[in-house]
Amino acid sequence: MSFGGGTVSGGAFGRAGGSRAAAAPGGGLPFAGIPPELQEGVDRLLATEPEHPEPSARFSHRATDDGGVHLTLRGLIFRHWRLGATAGLLVTIVSVTNQAGPKLIDIGIDSGMTGPHKSFGVVALVGVIFLAAIVVTALAQRGQARVTGRLAASVMNDLRVRVFSQLQRLGLDYFTSEQSGVIMTRMTSDIENLQQLLQDGLAQLVVQALTMVVILAVLFTMNVTLTLITIALVIPWLTAASLWFRAASERGYDRVRDGIAGVLADLSESLHGVRTVVANNREAHNIVAHRNVVGDYRAANNYTAQINAIYGPATQLLGYLGQGALLAIGGHMVARHELSIGTLIAFFLYLNRFFAPIQLLVAQYNTLQQGQSSLIKLRTLFALAPSTPQAPAATELPPIAGEIVFDHVTFGYDPARPVIEDVNLTIRAGETVAFVGQTGAGKSTLAKLITRFYDPAQGRVLIDGHDLRDVTLDSLRRQLGVVPQEPFLFAGTLRYNIAFASPDCTDGEVWEAVRAVGLADVVQRMAQGLDTEVHERGQSLSSGERQLIALARAFLAYPRVLVLDEATSNLDLLSETKIEAALDVLLEQRTAVLIAHRLTTAMKADRIVVVDDGRIVESGSHAELVARGGRYAGMYATWISHSERAA
Amino acid sequence: MSATAAPDRTPPARAARPLDAGGVRSRFRAPQATIDPDRDKSWVRRALPVVKAHKVTLVTALTLSFVGLVLQVQIPNLLNEAVTNSLQHHTVALSHYVTLVFALAVGAGASAYVARLFLLRTAYAMEFDLRNIIYAHLTRMSFAFYDRVQSGQLISRANSDIRSVQMYLTFAPSILVQCAVALVAFGYMLSINVPLAFVAMATTPLVYFSSVRMRKQIFPVSWLIQQRLADVATIVDENINGVRVVKSFVAEPRELRTLAGAADRLKWAYIRDADIRARFTPTVQNLPQLGLALVLIFGGWLVIHGHLQVGAILAFSAYITMLQPPFQLLGMLIMLGQRAKASAGRIYQILDEAPTVTDRPDATALTHCEGDVSFAAVSFAYGDGTEVLHDFTLHLRPGETVAMVGRTASGKTTVSRLLPRFYDVTGGALEVDGHDVRDLTLASLRSQTGVVLDEPFLFTASLRENIAYGRPDASLPEIEAAARAAGAERFIAELPDGYDTVVGERGYTLSGGQRQRVAIARTLLVNPPILVLDDATSAVDVQVEQEIHEGLRVLMAGRTTLVVAHRLSTIGLADRVVLLDGGRIVADGTHAELLQSTPLYVEVLAQVEEADRQARRAGAEDDEIGRP
Repeated sequence: MSFGGGTVSGGAFGRAGGSRAAAAPGGGLPFAGIPPELQEGVDRLLATEPEHPEPSARFSHRATDDGGVHLTLRGLIFRHWRLGATAGLLVTIVSVTNQAGPKLIDIGIDSGMTGPHKSFGVVALVGVIFLAAIVVTALAQRGQARVTGRLAASVMNDLRVRVFSQLQRLGLDYFTSEQSGVIMTRMTSDIENLQQLLQDGLAQLVVQALTMVVILAVLFTMNVTLTLITIALVIPWLTAASLWFRAASERGYDRVRDGIAGVLADLSESLHGVRTVVANNREAHNIVAHRNVVGDYRAANNYTAQINAIYGPATQLLGYLGQGALLAIGGHMVARHELSIGTLIAFFLYLNRFFAPIQLLVAQYNTLQQGQSSLIKLRTLFALAPSTPQAPAATELPPIAGEIVFDHVTFGYDPARPVIEDVNLTIRAGETVAFVGQTGAGKSTLAKLITRFYDPAQGRVLIDGHDLRDVTLDSLRRQLGVVPQEPFLFAGTLRYNIAFASPDCTDGEVWEAVRAVGLADVVQRMAQGLDTEVHERGQSLSSGERQLIALARAFLAYPRVLVLDEATSNLDLLSETKIEAALDVLLEQRTAVLIAHRLTTAMKADRIVVVDDGRIVESGSHAELVARGGRYAGMYATWISHSERAA
Repeated sequence: MSATAAPDRTPPARAARPLDAGGVRSRFRAPQATIDPDRDKSWVRRALPVVKAHKVTLVTALTLSFVGLVLQVQIPNLLNEAVTNSLQHHTVALSHYVTLVFALAVGAGASAYVARLFLLRTAYAMEFDLRNIIYAHLTRMSFAFYDRVQSGQLISRANSDIRSVQMYLTFAPSILVQCAVALVAFGYMLSINVPLAFVAMATTPLVYFSSVRMRKQIFPVSWLIQQRLADVATIVDENINGVRVVKSFVAEPRELRTLAGAADRLKWAYIRDADIRARFTPTVQNLPQLGLALVLIFGGWLVIHGHLQVGAILAFSAYITMLQPPFQLLGMLIMLGQRAKASAGRIYQILDEAPTVTDRPDATALTHCEGDVSFAAVSFAYGDGTEVLHDFTLHLRPGETVAMVGRTASGKTTVSRLLPRFYDVTGGALEVDGHDVRDLTLASLRSQTGVVLDEPFLFTASLRENIAYGRPDASLPEIEAAARAAGAERFIAELPDGYDTVVGERGYTLSGGQRQRVAIARTLLVNPPILVLDDATSAVDVQVEQEIHEGLRVLMAGRTTLVVAHRLSTIGLADRVVLLDGGRIVADGTHAELLQSTPLYVEVLAQVEEADRQARRAGAEDDEIGRP
């Protein structure tokens, strides 16, 4: 396509014109849904979608993806080598048949139209061959597009499943050390880059490169001297221009990307903070500030405009100058009878065609580079080893009573700085133990060692006498229930969220859990009951309700050991009461570890363990510890005095 | 607004305000036009003022684009003549044509460069205008609007809608110019040989129809792909943020199956996309070639019979190649037009929505404010019609601190939102110093009313800028003094970059108590005579709460203060307590008086007290127990 003349594609129009580029996830913007005016078309499309078979992907902590470390484009395609080979064959056909035209015109002119033996028969024959070549080209192109489309979709499907499996294998440390946005990119834009490359880019790249080779080959067969002259005249300039364009446009798009990110961030903040903006009379000020941000974005866009405006017309100019030169040189050769008119015309036509691929090549080269850098990132991801690997000889953990033993446990997220040092602790089966202590004392870390989110650096953690590292992760975690500080709700129905541990359970079992935690009246009040959809991580529910759902989820898992990180968000009184009641039900007959943030919670435990600086400094019941007059007694005294003063 | 909006005559209403108010210098000129408010006009006509604001660059671009293309059209014909006249008949010197080709090439290249540069600049300038117009409008919108819309989707939508409108407005004229040039080229072909011209062009309408049909089928698939990419992203996002739940409940196999299912559906959509492209793209690309083959056969016959020169074959084949893009683009233009219309509709929907809380034409500024606040028989209902306040009457004397107590949904928070006119009363009147607030300018009222919200919002900016948010021109010593008074000085000093530490969503994360203190400092710096305070409900430990209360005491001194109290200790800061129930005041007096006289107060207070005790956790929101 062209603007203001020329044949460059990939200008502003080409880039933004395809809706494919719009609103890619991972770009920081939520998908705003399909525009209503297109919904009908989408519905019609969906009506043609067949039932997909149950996915065959299986997950196991035992299996590893050893090939992932050596991920290459070639390797990915090789899994679907039939498609790859077919695509290669079709691409070759396209490159050859597509260039038949000018050569045929040359023959038609020289053998049919000019010279002593004019013959329409020759012209007609050549014309029919030309028509046939076009039909073959079109069919081969069509076949190639279908094949590469399937190839790309299949390879990406493999890759999505493989990368996701790898993510699931990795330990908690990966998710805490890496920003969630970065992890997200591995599964979204990195894979999508490859998708584009495989679906279109790679085939185009091959077609364009082959086309140039074919054209040069044909030109050489027609006239070696003229071909050499043409190459010398055109290619150095074209290469220089294209190299410049590639570098400049990369810089430009980086700037544009930063620019739009700035605009969207400013807009987002202005809308989310609108109450503060208004309360502070900042509207006028912010309008100016936003204008500056948008203005910077415009400046970045104008920079790319400059690059596009130079490159397109410049290559076009080179093309025409080349034609002028060809006319001068070729014309003289015709005059000296070193060249036929038909061949000269074919040269003109081929020269035209020689220019189109170069610009496309530049565009595809960027796709190729992006794809390669994505591959490198994915390889790095595959190279990561799970921090809590399952031993090859790991056995199933038999049903446990729930005795937990810390045996000289030392652990640190950074090995040089231990958070837990030489901890010895035995929690009896059925006992409720509360960990209290300052921020960073290590109480949450102790809990994470029980669930084997981390492995101790020294010492052992035992459940019913089994070292956690000797049993399978699944069998261990099935018998543990974890309620995190901030309950996490998934998109889906209430039932899905509550029955998360055992999706096959009956409605009766779900209701039992709902009733047990005192959520029944809330669910009954909802129009759709258990089928109510949870939107936006449950923001429509109160934090108390979210908390109760997390408890119901743990209840339904029937764990032998419950690890509960007490919620810190403030709840209204009713929710508090309900949650306390739910906890009483939940803790019954189970071993329970509470990470207590309030003394009121800690007081209810059978035993309170005071953690300080990675060590256990006190342990005993509330009454014992208060009587002992140690650190816990000090905390308690402070708390009492504050409560009284405030009241 | 008249269609011939002169920049000086019709600045948008927002631009009339002193825009450099508050310390930010504008580095860019404000948009010189806005969308025509006349809803009866077509979407393009409504957008015309914005287009016209850039008419110089746009017209230059289009003119030069036309010139460049016309120059380019000459070249194939020149080659044709050169072959005929210089190479076959030797009537004209070859150098004549070579010179002409060079000259035309340079001319066409230069015009194309300027045309393209100006066209793209116009496009970006219009995008700049649209973004700023929409931003300014959003900024003026009332809270009722923000209660209704979801910001994330609003941003996302606005972003792609602006794009599609801007593209159409700039590129539609450009495509039309190219089509006009196509006519010129067709004219040249006609001048060479009429029947051959028609034969050559026979396939072009099919190029157009094919590309229209292709876009029609591609758009739904593209959006389906977007949706399914988003589905995959959602699953991944949940597995990242909910990783502990997934692992704890051994849900990895199931999550993998879910993901694989979503990936399968995405794969299907991608294959559909590829198949549709496969059906159309080769056709669209090869139809012009078909024309060329026909030219070879029919043209050859003409040449043999002496009706045509051989060079014409060359000219025709160049013209056919040249004519291909405009027809493809024309097909695209129609689809883009439909999209742009829908996008414009959504943008206008936002722009057409008038803010509900605005300055009256004769509004006066509240200059010297004593701080006398009076709610007289106020009633209020939110947009959905449920009445929240009913016959609410309350008087605050200058300097007085009144705490509002009540159960959840008793209307306390609503009262606090009426005072700075975040909403307007639906009945009765709210008066400040005897002026109905609706007779005052919003800016003056809000500059005299400080608001500390329960969830203080910090912007991604330095602490210094955040504290000076209401007074961007404040000096550093003033900012430091405010921070000191709010009890924020110490933790700021401990931050890596002190006052220059960037906080907010994309910066350093402060705790709830710290954010609260920054918000107090922010309000102290503005020094308003009237204060509205929504007590923080988020968890704060005893120590922090004491610090905050010390900050609040400083803040409230000498100001009329309305406190929405969620904690017992906050009530202690007030001179007077009012008890709300069912949207009206049911009791009014000191804490001691109400305890004596009103059983409901005792009941509500017991709840508050209990909740308070719960909130008074020995730890702060993180993990802190037993701080001395």
